[in-house]
This record gives sequence, structure tokens and C-alpha cells, in this order.
Amino acid sequence: MIQNYFELFNLPEKFQLDLEMLQENYRAIQKKIHPDRFATSSENEKVQSMIKSTQINDAYQTLKSPIKRAKYILSLHKSVEKITLPPDFLMQQMEWEEHLEEIEKNNSELVQFKLTINKKYEEYSLLLSSQIDDDQNWSDAAITIDKLYFVEKLLHKINNVLN
Amino acid sequence: MALLQISEPGKSTMPHEHRRVIGIDLGTTNSLVASVVSGSPAILNPNEKSNLLPSVIHYSKEGILVGNDAKNLLSKDPKNTISSVKRLIGKTISDINQDHFPLSLADGEGVININTSIGMKNPIEVSAEILKTLKSFAEDNLGGELMGAVVTVPAYFDDAQRQATKDACELAGLNVLRLINEPTAAAVAYGLDKKSMGHFVVFDLGGGTFDVSILNLSKGLFEVLATHGDANLGGDDFDQAIVNFLNNKYKLKVKDIEVQSLVSIIAREIKESLSTKKEVVIEEKISDIEIVETFTQEQFKTLVKDLIEQTLKATKNALNDAQLNYDQIDGIIMVGGSTRMPCIQEAVKNLFKQDLHNDLNPDEVVALGAATQANILAGNGEEDLLLLDVTPLSLGIETMGSIVERIIPRNTTLPVAMAQEFTTYKDGQTAMIIHVVQGERELVDDCRSLAKFTLKKIPPMVAGAAKIKVTFQVDTDGLLSVSAEETTTNAKASIEVKPSYGLSEDKIKTMLQSSFDLAEEDKNSRMLAETKIEAIQLIELTQKALDTDNDLLSESELNSIKNDLDALIDSIKSSNNDKIKEANKKLNTQSESFAAKRMDRSIQKALTGKSINKLEF
Repeated sequence: MIQNYFELFNLPEKFQLDLEMLQENYRAIQKKIHPDRFATSSENEKVQSMIKSTQINDAYQTLKSPIKRAKYILSLHKSVEKITLPPDFLMQQMEWEEHLEEIEKNNSELVQFKLTINKKYEEYSLLLSSQIDDDQNWSDAAITIDKLYFVEKLLHKINNVLN
Repeated sequence: MALLQISEPGKSTMPHEHRRVIGIDLGTTNSLVASVVSGSPAILNPNEKSNLLPSVIHYSKEGILVGNDAKNLLSKDPKNTISSVKRLIGKTISDINQDHFPLSLADGEGVININTSIGMKNPIEVSAEILKTLKSFAEDNLGGELMGAVVTVPAYFDDAQRQATKDACELAGLNVLRLINEPTAAAVAYGLDKKSMGHFVVFDLGGGTFDVSILNLSKGLFEVLATHGDANLGGDDFDQAIVNFLNNKYKLKVKDIEVQSLVSIIAREIKESLSTKKEVVIEEKISDIEIVETFTQEQFKTLVKDLIEQTLKATKNALNDAQLNYDQIDGIIMVGGSTRMPCIQEAVKNLFKQDLHNDLNPDEVVALGAATQANILAGNGEEDLLLLDVTPLSLGIETMGSIVERIIPRNTTLPVAMAQEFTTYKDGQTAMIIHVVQGERELVDDCRSLAKFTLKKIPPMVAGAAKIKVTFQVDTDGLLSVSAEETTTNAKASIEVKPSYGLSEDKIKTMLQSSFDLAEEDKNSRMLAETKIEAIQLIELTQKALDTDNDLLSESELNSIKNDLDALIDSIKSSNNDKIKEANKKLNTQSESFAAKRMDRSIQKALTGKSINKLEF
């Protein structure tokens, strides 16, 4: 039986999630049902614990990541549609990409750029939580998720260049 | 044979029976076996002076030697003396540099064949000899047959290497409770010892493999956050650096197996001496060439500079994947004999700017941790400990243009199952080849090929209309299984598996049969005894489950299970192997949904008492 991931972890269905509580409950469940607890049990129980433990891992990874969590909440309320990002954001994307190429070798500029993009990330996260938790505006939230996804990938790229 | 006793339903006979289990560290250079004896893990080794069994095997018409006796023949009979077999397991001839092995190697079907005077031997068989020796040490020491073993593998071993190790265990007659990663096992030994909490780095440099794992230790939970490494980097390579230096300087014959095995032995002695001395002087004669050389630690450090750099790079990558900085690390655990090298200790210390944990014997710590874990898995200990490990390498399949499509990314917590949909390329296409690969590179050729599947009987449709769902599943041994189906129609596509590496199941069976020289009668009575034990266990477990959770079942469900339970109890009296097996299977099938319901109840129980909606926004 696969139930709602939030119910599974005994947490309210919100984008703003108590991550410590999520981790604590995840660990409490794994301690009970992980296959290592059934190493000498019957075949049935071994199989069932493997299935459940896999599902718990999947549910945990989904709720832990802000983007996956937001997408999951949306999937509970809205069918998946193709999103078109607004033209001004596409322009902004290109500018950021170009900027990263220009400053590739300049460490202090890279650190500065990382701070700017980090701020953007925070901004979109806040926006997403009000769109999901307060307004239940699924259509706008879907666009913000895509923006957040892009910003997260950009942060990865900056980190890779920095390393 | 003594009659097996069966208790009355509800009255269990073996609630607190201590199960004989062991932990095995199957190392490149040395292997060890340990077990928890009176509450604490200890190395078992009644027959030799040292706790270590050299991972060396000698084959001859007179018989098979394992350990020190074989090691003594390394320079006398190099072609029939196999060392560092771990570097060959789960590989094919094209994966290795044959110059590094003073052996006569040939290509086998999915394995490497080693040509010895008594015929071809593959690395799985050779490893099984080491395991058999350890198993008999343990049985002698613990006084009876073993219930199972936890066997360690390098965290960075790929699927083929893990599977091959498991096959070797089966061949040695060991029941594998779990394959666990070496650095994780070491962390168990350290963590339990010190009751530590926080983020720990395990730096594990063995004879032939290197792993670095980042773990979070909290009360009763060991969570691996990231792992990195190189399954082809170890103490052997540090020896090789000295070998290369000597070969060049003294123009030694590189193709002469006897010369090279002598140089290898000298190189190892130099390396080991430099772990405790600032410099070492050697005077040797190899086939009329006088070798006189003074080696200093500084000189050695220069020779192995690149190797050290590789270990540091992997460590940085692991930290990156775990999203941690150096200053967030609470401790560094040094594991593996090769971490005795001062140049390694210095490099790791400088990287983290803190002292290292190396107070447990780096050779023994993995086996001790494995023994502890075996004890926990067998339900012997009271310890409330759980290991959550990860996949070391990404898993994916080949798509158009030889590009890898990743399905499970590296460092995903196990067990895991992930699926991806693919579609057909041509109109009317009814079959599809699914090529499973492991690795981090973009191109298929740069990754490890694990298996090729042919998916058949896809209903003919226009290109792009079929939906083929490929599911990857990695279990808690880190072993992958793949399934595929076409989802737009009800037609289940069939799968043909062709592993790129290793032995087929049939071949292992044949090898197993030939290794047991038992008379037909003995085989049958052994089989019957095993079937009965299995049945008794199932009876005990079912009774226990019914005692605690019978309220989860409807009356008719309860009656069905009880009927099948009685039938199984009856069947045991018959001493008919097939009949017992049949009854066993029936009870298992009957209680499938009961097991699922019990698991759901466990999940609910895990969170009882915890407040819901702690945070309201």
C-alpha cells in the first residue's frame, strides 16, 4: 500500500517542511523495516521489507529535496502539463550563462556570482512556499518550480567551476 | 540421523538461540575472519601465529595450499602461486595490465582464466579457496557449522565484482547474510567502540583497492552520505612504483616472470621498512645483476606522488558529493595496511588539518566490524544499530549515439528502485536491446558494461508510440537487477539476460556439485535436513507472527494460514523432501499479504507517540 508521502512520515502536507522531523521519522521507520532487520526471517518478510524500505527511501528523497517536494505536492492536485517559461526569464537565463563563461577564471567574481544566485534561489523558494502553502496557485507554482530547477543547476555549475 | 523435534504451536523452542555467524574481510593481500565471542568481536585464527591469512593460493598435483605455505612458494613457483586475486575478480582480460601479474592469464567466458599446472582456474574459484580456509578456521574455533557470514567488499566495487564475490562465497559453501562495504564495516568497529557521533571520513587504502566514505553517525544509525574511490589503487601500486624504478635503473628483464616476482618481493620489503624507518639499504642479486640501493622516505614519496594525489582527489570528490567542508568533519578513520605509510598519513593529516584515528589495528578493523554486523543481522546482539549504505557508481542504459542515460545516480541510499521510460526508434519495431552500464562518464565506451538484455515481443507500433519501462533495483548487498516491460499494452515483453561478466548460474551449480564429493545418499539426507530446518524456521516465524498480529487477518484468512501451517507441520513427519518443500511454498504464498500488513503496522508503530503537525504555517 503506497500512501501519501506526507501521511507516511506523519507530517502536514506543506512545502515549508520541518526537515529535522522528516529525518527523524525516516530514521525511526527504517530502523523498524529495513531488510537488515529481517536477515533471518521468512522469504515473505524479506521481500516485503525490501519493498517497503525501497518505498520509504523514495518517499524520503522526494520530500527532502525542495524541487521534488514541490513537484510531488503539485502532482497530488494537478495533472502535469508542459510549462513555458516567460521570455524575460529565458533572457535572464542566457545572461547568467554568458556571465559565468566570462568570469570562469576569476575566483572572487565567481564567489560574488554564487552569492547573487543563492539569493535568487532563496527568493524563488519563498515565492514557491507562498504559492503552494498560502494561495494553492498550482499553475504559477509550476513555473516557479522550473525557475528554481534552473537556478539549482546553475549553482551546481558555479560550484564545479569553483572546484 | 537424530529426529528433529517440533514444538507445539505457540511454544517456540528457540527464542534465544545463539546463531554462529562470522565476518570475513576478503582482502587483496591478507584475509581475516572474526566473530563476536562473549559480547565483543575477535579475530579467529587458531592455526597460525598471525591473525592474517595471506591471500595467496598455490596449486599443484599434491594439493592446494592457502596462506603462508603458499606465500613461501611465491618466488619458487610463481606460475602456480596466485596472489592479489582480488584484482582479477569480476573482470575480463581486457580490463587489466597483464604485466602486473606474474601469472599466465587467458581469456575465459566472462572471466579471466589462470593457467596452472593442474588446469585453468578462475578468480572466483581461487577466492573460494581462501573463503573455505577461513570458514574452516571459524568452524573449528566456534565449534560447529555456521549459520551465515557477512563478507566485506570495497565500497567502490562495481556490480560485476560484487556478484563475483558473492558467487565465490556460494562456491565455498557460505551463506551470505550480507555483503557490506569495507569502510562502512570499519566505521562500525570504530563507532561502536567510541560511541561517536557526527561526520566521519573513512580513508581505506588496502593492498589493491582504495575507498573513501563519508558517514554520519548518530545514535544507532550509520548513514553513508557519499563514497568514492578506485577499485584499482592500493599498496600493490606503491610496490609497483618501486618495481618500475628498479627495472629502469638496473635494466631488469620485464617479461621474465621469475625476475619480476623477485623484484616485487624486494619492492614490498622496501615499502614496509620505510613505514618505520627513515631510510633502508638493499643489496640483492637478481639473475647476475647486483642491486645496491639506499632508499629514503623522501625518495619514495617522490616515486608515489601521483598515487597519493589520486587518493586526495577522490577524498575531495566524496566531500563534495556529501556537501560538506573540511571543517565539518569530526574525525578521520584510517583503515587498511597501506595507511601505515607515513607519506599517506601526512597527506591526509594536511588535507583535513586534524589528527587521525588509527588506534585500532588497520588490518583488523574491517573484519571486526563485519563480525559485529553479522551478529546484529543474526539477531544475537542487543545492539540497536542500522547501516544505511549507498550505490558507489551511477547506473544507466545505453541510448542513441552511445550516450548513457542515468537511471540511478551514485550515492543513492539503498535499497533503491528507479524506473525510466524509453521508446522505439523505428515503425513496427518488436525488439529492443537494453545495454546496462555502470560509471560516471557520458559515453558508453567509458563506462563498465554490466549486461545486455533483449526485450522481445514488443507489439508493433509506429516509432515512438511504445512505452518501455525499464526498472533498476539495487538491493542491500549493492547488487543490481533489471526488469523491463511495455506499458501501453497488456503484453508483457520477455527478457533475455546476458551478463557481460561473471559465471552463469548453471556454471556455478556445476562447479558446486563437483566440489562436493558426496555420495548420492549423503546428498539426499543433507538436502532433507536443510529442507526440514527451513520448514521449522517458517513454522516458528509464522506462529510468532500470528501470536502478535492475528487481528490483522479476517477469520477466513486466519483459517487458511492455520490450515497451511498445520499441513506444513504434518509434512515434516513424512520426511518427504518434495512434500515439505511444497507445503513450505504454500504457506509462504498464503501469508504474503499478512507479511505486507505486518510491515505497514511496523511503520505506524515506528511513529506512534510522535506529534503530528508540529509545525503549522
